[in-house]
Amino acid sequence: MNNRALKVLALFSFLLPVFFIIDLIIGSYYISIPEIFGVLFNPSKAESQTVLIISQFRIPKAITAILSGAALSVAGLQMQTVFRNPLAGPYILGVSSGASLGVALLVLGTGGLLGGAIISTVSSWSIVTAACIGSGLILLLILMISSRIKEIMTILILGILISSAISSIVNILQYFSNESTLKSFVVWTMGSLGSVTNAQLTVLFPSVLVGTLVAFLSSKFLDAFLLGENYARSMGMNVRFARLIVFFSTAILAGSITAFCGPIGFIGIAVPHIARMALQSARHSLLVPASILIGALMMLISDIISQLPGSEHILPVNSVTALLGIPIVIWIIIRNNNRNRL
Amino acid sequence: MISTQQEKIISLENTSIGYKWKSGSQNIVKSEISVHALKGELVALIGENGVGKSTLLKTIAGFQPTVSGEIRILGKSILNYHEKELALLQSFVSTEIIHVTNLSVFDLVALGRYPHTNWFGKLLASDCDLIEECILNVGLKGYENRLVDHLSDGERQKVMIARALAQNTRIIVLDEPTAFLDLSNKYEIVHILHRLASEKGKTILFSTHDLSTAIAESDRIWLMLNDTVCQGAPEDLILNGKFSNIFPNKQLYFDQERGDFRIRKENKRIATVKGNGLAFEWTIKALIRNGYEIITSSDESCIQVLVEYPEWTIIHKSKPAKFNSILTLCRFLNESDE
Repeated sequence: MNNRALKVLALFSFLLPVFFIIDLIIGSYYISIPEIFGVLFNPSKAESQTVLIISQFRIPKAITAILSGAALSVAGLQMQTVFRNPLAGPYILGVSSGASLGVALLVLGTGGLLGGAIISTVSSWSIVTAACIGSGLILLLILMISSRIKEIMTILILGILISSAISSIVNILQYFSNESTLKSFVVWTMGSLGSVTNAQLTVLFPSVLVGTLVAFLSSKFLDAFLLGENYARSMGMNVRFARLIVFFSTAILAGSITAFCGPIGFIGIAVPHIARMALQSARHSLLVPASILIGALMMLISDIISQLPGSEHILPVNSVTALLGIPIVIWIIIRNNNRNRL
Repeated sequence: MISTQQEKIISLENTSIGYKWKSGSQNIVKSEISVHALKGELVALIGENGVGKSTLLKTIAGFQPTVSGEIRILGKSILNYHEKELALLQSFVSTEIIHVTNLSVFDLVALGRYPHTNWFGKLLASDCDLIEECILNVGLKGYENRLVDHLSDGERQKVMIARALAQNTRIIVLDEPTAFLDLSNKYEIVHILHRLASEKGKTILFSTHDLSTAIAESDRIWLMLNDTVCQGAPEDLILNGKFSNIFPNKQLYFDQERGDFRIRKENKRIATVKGNGLAFEWTIKALIRNGYEIITSSDESCIQVLVEYPEWTIIHKSKPAKFNSILTLCRFLNESDE
């Protein structure tokens, strides 16, 4: 049983660099495999233009894909376990939109106060902080709701309502903003994997590292949460402390990714289920690393598909993740309905 | 008179349970509870729905505070235990059915080792041996790698008990462990609990609605009535008539001979039954169910039933009628009555 988990983890660890290289190859400008290895291992001899494309565009984008896939999947895994809801995820329960509210308040609010500050004055760190606070507040809101309502579908509908309400608030904020702050905010909302710069990666990478590390260190808490809070408490777990740790990690992961890439849906719901199925295990010391690997792989694949290999068009990556993730979500709903429960 | 001086594992003295709100108002579910439990005892908590069984168990498990008075575990108030200390003394099994996908029986039972393992929950060889032993103890050997989601309700409940065992505590508290189970599983679970209490010296407290299994297997009963909570061996409570107070003013009465509840019926019709053996006994039961009072003197005016298994004869008024089952006999009686 443990053997199976290790084999699966080894397989995904092997696939990850393969798809990383493929993601570097694919793009509107063709770069061959030897050229890529040339740039990676001997950049002084490679063509300067190719080095520029690889180091300034494709590598940051591929790394962002890996970080966002890993972060959203681990965030989704933690939410599914703590809320004991197979359909929980950062996007669907409004945690991502909470992050965008945080950024909107920061950019539009401070912009209004300072009389037209531009986005560059708002540092990457403050954007991440605002996004994490926003997602953390939504997590607390969902916690309050789910302590009263146990019905999974009802919580889901409430999550969708929360997202809509937050979008409305953001719209209203935009309406009252002056032109220059509005412009910097709109630029932010168009964020995608490709818009993350090397400089922003120096903020994103440590955030995701801390978030996933905390998630891995709270594996034992998460295992106990599987049985519900009463069981967890009866086994000697400090539920409040454990929940705080898990929410801290979830808010950082979902918030930081949303801060730089915009909302990316359905990876957070789908990947934990793939991980559980692949490993045939519910132990988080295995599921956290598996979600990191599978999530990263899913995002790389989504990014490759969004390039529409062979064409010059690029799809929004959010649409690709939705098309990949939604069939899995439908499958979860049908499977659980057949067993007459969720 | 001899009274035992054994150490009380769980004890409540004039304890009130219920809910306290932040506004200061309180909702007392049950006040002045004074009961206790000793080492090696299987204790059944019995009472009508809504009388506060779950609240009492949750309070003992430490999930909610008492309204007044205290609950003592091994002589020390539950409030003075750190949650981790309490987890080493007391484990809990809730009434809720746990649904977790891809969780194996072994991994679920292993969760019971939570308070004993390190930060990462690493299982040592001794932990694994104990987990195997607990799985064996509830009769699920060979189920280790099965997924919990694919088990029957009875098997799942046994796994939850094995998890509590793996926690290796002196006390196990179970909230309606037999609620969703069929009759044979009910008996099996309560029997397992009894065995664990007497063989391993654990104190096991469980709530149940199933009086017959509780009377058959438990050493002590905490009986929650509307006004008071009393305790004793099941037989003590039968003899002093306390059981009759569980459902006051209802159509149920406690049959002190059978040790179970029966529905009160107005016996308007009378019958005499002749015969012997098992068929005779069950014929009487069937007639009582159908509203007959059974009398011994043979009055010519009442219905006489002659039992000669596998044949029954009714002698009434004019001609005798013969039947080959109790079912047809009862149907005939009901139809002729209309």
